[in-house]
Amino acid sequence: MDITNLAAKSALSVDIGTTITRSLFFDVVSGRYRLIGVGTAPTTAGAPKFDVTEGIWRSLEELQYFTGRKLVSEKEGVIIPSTQDNQGADIMVATMSAGNPISVVTVGLLDNVSLRNARRLAQTSYTKIIAEISLNDRRTATDRINLLTTKRPDLIIITGGTDNGATQSLLSILESIGLASFLLEESQRPHILFTGNEILQDEVKAGLEKISKLHISPNLQPVLGITNFRPAQKELNEIYCDVRRKQSGGLREVLSWTDGYFTSTASALGRVIRFLSEKYEPEKGVLGVDIGSDSTIMAAAFHGEETLRVYPNSGVGGGAAGVLEKSSLEEIKRWLPIKVSDNLVRDYIYNKSTYPDSIPTEQDHLEIELAIAKQALRMAALDLIPSLEKQIDSMGILMPPVEPIIGAGRILTDAPNRYQSLSVLLDGLQPTGVTTLALDQNGLLPGLGALAEINPLMTVQVIESNTFLNLGTIIAPIGIARPGTPVLRIRLYREDGRLLTRDIKFGTLAILPVEMGEKVSLHLRPLHRFDIGMGGPGKAGKVNAVGGALGIIIDARGRPLQFYPDEEKNIERNEIWRKTYQKYT
Amino acid sequence: MTTKVKHYHELTSIKRERVLPVAGDVLVRRMQKVSPTDVIVVASMAPEFVLIDVAQGLRVSPVKADELLQRRSGEELVKGDIIAGPVGVFKKVIRAPQSGRVKIAGEGKVLYEIESPVFELQAGMEGTVTNIIPERGAIIETRGALVQGVWGNGKITYGIIQSVSSDLLQELVPEQLNIGFRGTIITAGFLRNPNVLEVAGNIPIKGMVLGSMSSNLIPQAKMADYPIMVIDGFGRKPLNKAAERVLTANKDKNVALNAQQYDPFLGNYPEVIISQTTKSNPDLPPETDTLKAGKTVIIINGLLSSRIGKVEGIVPQKRILPSGISTRVASVNLGGDEMVEIPLTNLEVIEV
Repeated sequence: MDITNLAAKSALSVDIGTTITRSLFFDVVSGRYRLIGVGTAPTTAGAPKFDVTEGIWRSLEELQYFTGRKLVSEKEGVIIPSTQDNQGADIMVATMSAGNPISVVTVGLLDNVSLRNARRLAQTSYTKIIAEISLNDRRTATDRINLLTTKRPDLIIITGGTDNGATQSLLSILESIGLASFLLEESQRPHILFTGNEILQDEVKAGLEKISKLHISPNLQPVLGITNFRPAQKELNEIYCDVRRKQSGGLREVLSWTDGYFTSTASALGRVIRFLSEKYEPEKGVLGVDIGSDSTIMAAAFHGEETLRVYPNSGVGGGAAGVLEKSSLEEIKRWLPIKVSDNLVRDYIYNKSTYPDSIPTEQDHLEIELAIAKQALRMAALDLIPSLEKQIDSMGILMPPVEPIIGAGRILTDAPNRYQSLSVLLDGLQPTGVTTLALDQNGLLPGLGALAEINPLMTVQVIESNTFLNLGTIIAPIGIARPGTPVLRIRLYREDGRLLTRDIKFGTLAILPVEMGEKVSLHLRPLHRFDIGMGGPGKAGKVNAVGGALGIIIDARGRPLQFYPDEEKNIERNEIWRKTYQKYT
Repeated sequence: MTTKVKHYHELTSIKRERVLPVAGDVLVRRMQKVSPTDVIVVASMAPEFVLIDVAQGLRVSPVKADELLQRRSGEELVKGDIIAGPVGVFKKVIRAPQSGRVKIAGEGKVLYEIESPVFELQAGMEGTVTNIIPERGAIIETRGALVQGVWGNGKITYGIIQSVSSDLLQELVPEQLNIGFRGTIITAGFLRNPNVLEVAGNIPIKGMVLGSMSSNLIPQAKMADYPIMVIDGFGRKPLNKAAERVLTANKDKNVALNAQQYDPFLGNYPEVIISQTTKSNPDLPPETDTLKAGKTVIIINGLLSSRIGKVEGIVPQKRILPSGISTRVASVNLGGDEMVEIPLTNLEVIEV
């Protein structure tokens, strides 16, 4: 599609991350939208500046330097819209993840139904659940009031009851919430998001509207067994943005440039992944992951249905200690290809949490950071998979087929070798069947997600302009066999007619040398009833693939990956895998 | 490149905001001199409420219950006071189970706030109140020595500081502690032996300032009754020379140890403040600075972590580190002829 007649031709996107503020500039080149440049600077949302504008300003200055285009003026701030002499941009959007998570109290009728839904909703943004209230908890009305007035949450999420279902139980909890809200200072009154039984909406309005910042959204579970998260998720994102607007100095000025286009980084990531799932390979899903300093985000979408999860305090910087606290030292160390003492790993993790912007100088330290990233991703994947629309095993622990998987975050993009980025994604996510691992090396996903709302064509064309780095095509057969048993026979046909045949043994990782961008045809025949997602166990098939940075990777290590109880053996095996990667990089 | 500034000063101006997250009564006035243990604001941090269902208690309708209410919003209650009633043959009444003040009364219910203990926020440092933040607290200013840390167990104290050994780089072991340290804030290099925390608690000491600590002691250190502050981080590291110099110069002096939890986003650092009477009036130190030649810096990650040096220059080209990462570095002189190249991200400017 030609875009000559579209009004908004150039766009600026700013992502205010925990440690880095990133500015992106997009414009039309040869009739299509392209990424023109990237500028970064340390985020200034926190102490001592408490003003996001300085970080944005510096990142825009770097962007100006790289692009040669004037984007800001001392007098007017960001130049919006662009001028005749090619200054500024036509539109601007902003996304944000910096700041401590917003505190949430979830309220529902039953632990395993409505509270679970409330938790899932809270997980779609940067939140920290500080308390839960349900009928099961045996708290009296007095206890509930005291809990809420003591905890003083930023947000209360109320769920419960199917539409037209029972109302009395929820009403009794609502009364406590109303009273608690009334008792708090006006400036400390929480946002309340009601997303329960629709029949109660009027009563909720009457009781809570005047004494809280009330938001009403359609029922998360209108009928037993059917959930609808998207409207509430959207509302939660609005609340997040509102809390950030009030907490973050300078954000109002930024919003005056963006004309209000502001969203959370996670929400923007979710949107672009949903967008991609609507656009490409509808029979498979799309997965996007962002391993940040403080948090990890997972966004999956199948047929335009998005599942978004934010894991605050689970990252590779400030959130590194959170990964250790939520798992264990053993679970982190099992990813290491080197022998390192428990104390060194633990101390390194706590130091990294203290100084999240610092970088590893030694090889051992880098391996620890990669191990933290793998563990953060593994925990996130195991939490996400059971709630995905598609399941391929009864336990809900195997990743269903997705195409592609896009990874973001500095631990991936700044890794010295591409095999390190690939191994984090492969070990952490453990994809199945045939898929492509791609890297968002310029940190475009949030910006493209935010822009998709205003100019979807820009998002499509930028993505189609090979903006993501193809790390490699992954073929991961599922099944059980003795190590060393051949489980997959591959015939690889190159365009020049050359043929490569390989039998892949169970428990191994193999790399087929295919040049970056080289198109090949793969004939895959699983053995011993292994499944490669071609229609069932033992089913063979053909796929066309393109070589990535590491060619084509056959991961026959089994799903899920198994570990030895003996640390030495894990180290030995991880070292073999590392050498396999290194041979091809 | 701009970095955060770490503070290890022998003499500087110090300005701190001491506020509560809820409204309370500020007990100090502007220009008042305060000592660390002076209370500056009191508030009920966790007010307790009681909701009484009068209608249910009296077995009447909510409308009838409202007619029987004897107390209105804002009224004080003493334990045993009649809130509602009498009603019925047996003249049934509802009495206040505890003393307090009625917040809301109506629709058959009474909600009242009971008397709960108030939280007293101490000044935490010697100084002068230079500004009052209505209902929340005050800003206190002083001049003196300052040492900031990176981990604290959330406690606060005031007392005489003493070093356990003349060598602040050494590991602290239980044998070094004795009754002579009773009631003092001790300083030491490195701690990894959990028994030290117990022995120190038994003496008892008043506080502990460490250069570094093994991170597996974090749970126990959080539980300690006395404040613990870690200056340089986790694992065996030598106490940085700048902090060592300030602490050594101020031994046997009264210090305020605020081992508050480290929150770099909010700018909360655990710290030791040693107020001094002086006629000089240094400027408030900057919180950020530009990393450039001539700046004194501390290394915050890697094998040389906690070493202090002077930036000789920023290397124009990127360098590849032993980890394989390619990054911008600075040439740092660690003293004498010891020159090293350190990633810019692993340096913080220090004000000494």
